[in-house]
This record gives sequence, structure tokens and C-alpha cells, in this order.
Amino acid sequence: MRISDRLDGDARLHDLWARGEVSNYIHHRSGHRYFTLKDQDSQISCVLFKSNGLSLDFEMKDGKNVMVFGDIAVYRPQGRVQLVARGIKKDEGLGYRHLQLEQLMKKLAAEGLFASERKRDLPRYPERIGIVTSPQGAALRDVVRTLGSYPARIILSPAQVQGDGAEKSIASAISALRGRADVVIVCRGGGSTEDLWCFNSEVVARAIFACDAPVISAIGHETDVTIADYVADLRAATPTAAAKMAVPDVDELKQSLSSAGVRMVRALWTSLERQEERLEYLMNAVSARRMYSLAQDARQRLDYLSERLEAAEARELQAQRSRLDLAKGRLTAVGPRATLSRGYVIARSAEGLILTAQDARPGQEIELILGKGRLLCRVLECRDEKEAI
Amino acid sequence: MTKEEKIGLEEAMDDLEEIVEVLEEGKMTLEESLDLYEKGMKLVKLCQARLQSAEKRIESLTGELPPDLG
Repeated sequence: MRISDRLDGDARLHDLWARGEVSNYIHHRSGHRYFTLKDQDSQISCVLFKSNGLSLDFEMKDGKNVMVFGDIAVYRPQGRVQLVARGIKKDEGLGYRHLQLEQLMKKLAAEGLFASERKRDLPRYPERIGIVTSPQGAALRDVVRTLGSYPARIILSPAQVQGDGAEKSIASAISALRGRADVVIVCRGGGSTEDLWCFNSEVVARAIFACDAPVISAIGHETDVTIADYVADLRAATPTAAAKMAVPDVDELKQSLSSAGVRMVRALWTSLERQEERLEYLMNAVSARRMYSLAQDARQRLDYLSERLEAAEARELQAQRSRLDLAKGRLTAVGPRATLSRGYVIARSAEGLILTAQDARPGQEIELILGKGRLLCRVLECRDEKEAI
Repeated sequence: MTKEEKIGLEEAMDDLEEIVEVLEEGKMTLEESLDLYEKGMKLVKLCQARLQSAEKRIESLTGELPPDLG
């Protein structure tokens, strides 16, 4: 009784949702339904009373995954805690697995498998494209067709993409591409959530994570997102989209190649023109500069010459001076006094030196300068030289 | 096979892009520009040839290859 009160008073035990798989289902003839709701590690008895069961829109049976809305209560006759259901919803058959998925997501996220820093850039021009998919699937054909004429080796790593063993098959197909591809496309065409479930597995997630080339995932349709998509470096909505992401567009590539050619020619012409302009400029610059340098040269030469001139002048002056000295010496040496001392006489009158007989007249007073002393004389006669001899 | 023929599309395209940029910068001498231009045109031809000759080769790691793709 007290337990019952306790349970009734706890708000957390009312209006709750429980998720799990139905087992031990009994539709009692009273109209009430009894079953056990199970998940991986726990279970609880449930009852759905007839009145609440009228709104059930699907057929309950063992193995069905359901979501139960109701309250926890004690079934006193047996002292058993049970969930009294007020409503039951079908859980798309995947309730328990979704729960598992959430846990796996949390775990992988904590390990950094989804980290955006880890996402690698795709190679711009892959030479080897690895594809993990079913050899029979339409996805492979879509990818191959979309890769078009892009020159790359396509390396198929076949995998079973649904059913038992698919997870392991996909994981090992991814691992098999190690060192063999520049980019890997993991793809599968559309299918039921059940069909795609293998891409939610931990082994596939880890294989993608460990892949040495960037991985593009394309699983199912746009709306299907699996763990593989979260781990992949890039997620594509469809296999076709994945192939488009993996390689550059060949037509665009050709376009850019021819535009590269055009750009180079243009650049070359521009540089030619520039060189020409430069040449012209240089030529102009050269003539102006040349004039300037010529003038400079001339000025320098002038300076040099004038310097030399000064020096020469100085030397000349010196030479003149010494010649003068020399002359003076010689003059002294051969001067009239020396001559006079050798017996010659200088005769002069008031008019000047008497060099010929005609420079004097009879009766004139003249002076004779001797080697030593002078004589004052009167001219008796003037005779020409011839007569004297 | 010369070394130039062996280089991948990626390397060739990267080299080409660089050459075009350097040429457009126009800081080289005429001679250097001409050399670069020649090198660039060689790369263009190389890439074009690579794109032309694209015979698609599909191989399978397990040898399992449906006839419509082989």
C-alpha cells in the first residue's frame, strides 16, 4: 500500500514514454492486453486495459517494437510493479535499434570520429577512385557513368550492402582499398531504413575512419543519414552526387586548359610589350644620360687640363726664371767690363755709344771707358774703317 | 617515357597554374618568360592528351566485375 502511494506520488513515474520490444503478448478474453516490454538489459510488465486498447491502430504481437505511454503502478495481488499503458505507438520496428544507434553515436562522437577537424580535403585530380558498393547495384553504374571521361582508374571493392554480414563485408571492402585509392566512394542506392541499417554499424564507421584516403559517402536518398555519413569526410546525397564531388568536370578542365594557354600567350605579349616600352625608355634615358655624362667628362677634362696648365705655367715660370738667372750669370761673364779688361774700350759721346767713325765728329769730346778708369778725349779726325786699314 | 609524361594530372595542373601566374606577374626577363611559356604549353598539351586518351579502366579487387562494366 505504501509502495503504491509512493509510486502514485512520484511525478517522474507518470505520463512517461517507454520504448522496447513486445514479448509474452497476451490478448486476454477480457479485452485487456498483457505483455512484457523489453530492451537490451531490462524489462517491465505492461498492461493495456480494454478501454485504452480501442485506439490501437496496429496489431500487437511479439517482437514488435513499440513506444508505450502510461504510468508506473503496483499490481497489488502479485506485488508487481508494472506499466499501465494508456497509449501505444508503433516504433517503426526500430525502437530498440534507434536507442542503440544513439548510444553508438554518442560513443563515436566522444572518440572524435565525427570531428570536423578530422575531415580531409578531397584530392583535386584523383588518379585512383575506389568504390565500395555492390557490383550488381545501380549505384555503381550511376557512379561510373557520372565519372564520365575523367581519366582515372576506377577500383571497385565489392561489398554486400544489405542483409546478414553486410556490415563486415562493407568494412573489409573499405579496408581492402588501403593504399590503392586517392579517394573512396562508399555508396548504395535507396532502400528501406532496414536495408540501409548496416551503414549504422560500428565496424563500418571505424573502417571509414581508418581509411587512408578521403571518403565520400552516398547512402540511400537525401533524407537517409547514417553513421557512415557522419564519419565520412564528405556526404553526398546520392551516388551520382558523390561521383561529381570526386572528380573535376572534364569539360571545365579542358576549358581551363585552353584558357591557361590563352593567358600564357597574352602574358607573353604583355611582357614583350613591356620589354619594348622598357627598351624605348632605356634608349631615351641613354641618350639623355649620355649627354650628361659627356658633359661631365668634358668638365672633368677641363678641370684636369686647367690643373695641368697651372702646373705647366708654374714650371714655365720657373724655367724662365732659371734661364734669367743663367743669362744674368753669363751676362756677367761676358759683360762689357770683362771685355774691357781684355783691352777693349767703349767709346761714347753725349749722343750715345760710338760704334762707327761717323758716330763722332772732329773736335767733339768723347769718353773712353777702359777696363779701369776713363779717358776724356777730343776727336782729331773721323776716318772710315777702310781708310784706317 | 620522359619525366614530364609521367607526372600526374594534379602536379601538371598545379605547375601550369603557377606558370600562368608567374607569367602574368610579368617580372621575368623575356628569355625566362619564353622558357616558362614553352614549359607551360608543354603541360597544357600533356593534360589535354591525358584527358583525350581517357579510356576508362574499371578493375575489381576481387575480380568480381559484372559484364556490363568490364
